[in-house]
Amino acid sequence: MLLQAFIGLVIGLIFGYALQRTGITKYPRVTGMLLLKDFKILKFMLTAVTFSMIGFYTLGSLGIIELNPKPLDWGKVVGGLIFGAGMGLLGYCPGTMIARIGEAKKDAWIGLLGMVLGVLFFAVNVKFFKTNLMTKNIPGNLPTILGINTWLAIPIAALVFSGIVLLASRVDDFKKNF
Amino acid sequence: MKLKVNQNDEWHWLIGGIVVSFLSITSYVLFEKLDYKDYPFGITAGIAYIAANVKFLFPSLAENPVVQKNLTSPAAFVEFIMLFGIVIGAYWGAKHSKNYSPEVIPSVWVKYHGSNVWKRFTVVLAGGFCLGLGTMLAVGCTTGNILQGWAHLSLGSMVAGACFFLAGIFVAKLLYPKLGGR
Repeated sequence: MLLQAFIGLVIGLIFGYALQRTGITKYPRVTGMLLLKDFKILKFMLTAVTFSMIGFYTLGSLGIIELNPKPLDWGKVVGGLIFGAGMGLLGYCPGTMIARIGEAKKDAWIGLLGMVLGVLFFAVNVKFFKTNLMTKNIPGNLPTILGINTWLAIPIAALVFSGIVLLASRVDDFKKNF
Repeated sequence: MKLKVNQNDEWHWLIGGIVVSFLSITSYVLFEKLDYKDYPFGITAGIAYIAANVKFLFPSLAENPVVQKNLTSPAAFVEFIMLFGIVIGAYWGAKHSKNYSPEVIPSVWVKYHGSNVWKRFTVVLAGGFCLGLGTMLAVGCTTGNILQGWAHLSLGSMVAGACFFLAGIFVAKLLYPKLGGR
């Protein structure tokens, strides 16, 4: 457990540093993305997703790791919408909220308190949520569900993600000229 | 009115993205090799670990399955430790790039909604509550569902991520109608 905790600490350390240095933790940036004014977070995120996707699927097909895709249930939709509303209200997501505690942005502590209360609310009503939203699900990843060969799907997905990044870059550059 | 972001010495998004993908893959591989099947690269379980530990305030929660699970899951503990790493890392990054500037309320908020601390804190508390409940229902936050879930091309995470943005865009436009126009 000590080794795992140490690895967790180091990974968190680099993650927090990278988030801060890339400027992902800034309030105007998160709000700017949701207002469709500043796409740096989107570009950063999709870059990370594209490289991780290639990494995960390569290691997966080499048998080094086992992929673990998350199933689709109503919790994903309802929870996703509630989460998104929270992100809009706060101006940051859980990861950036924690990073902003390190940056001494005091309101992040209140956000953390709210989050703990939200988790407890879920815990208290867990039976209701599990039976109504989280029982039936569609498991698996997109290539399997759509019946496409994985190694055809990965380049397509990489192209789509890169396409969105390029498009977002064009919009950001376009705005800089004004 | 413009949203101004100080861009001095910021990393390019490509660099940030590559560093984070490296972390994401490394942690996944390491924790699988160490037989940690919940793959702790995320925030949610760490916060659930904190929530599970305040159970002494709510005696009725002692037998709660969610509380029990997060108290005993080693992955939740590792994510809890990871939170400290993120706090220290962000502090270090801010100091290192000479961007360390403590504040109570973001300046954009002050411009549009005034400097009333309680108003901001109420909204933040409500927002935090939504994040906590939403992340438990969707089984993962932006880190778990987008950085990890999208990279797995999980159908569930794709839908969850799309919902994050849909609702987020809607609420942000409500909060800043003047900024969202055009």
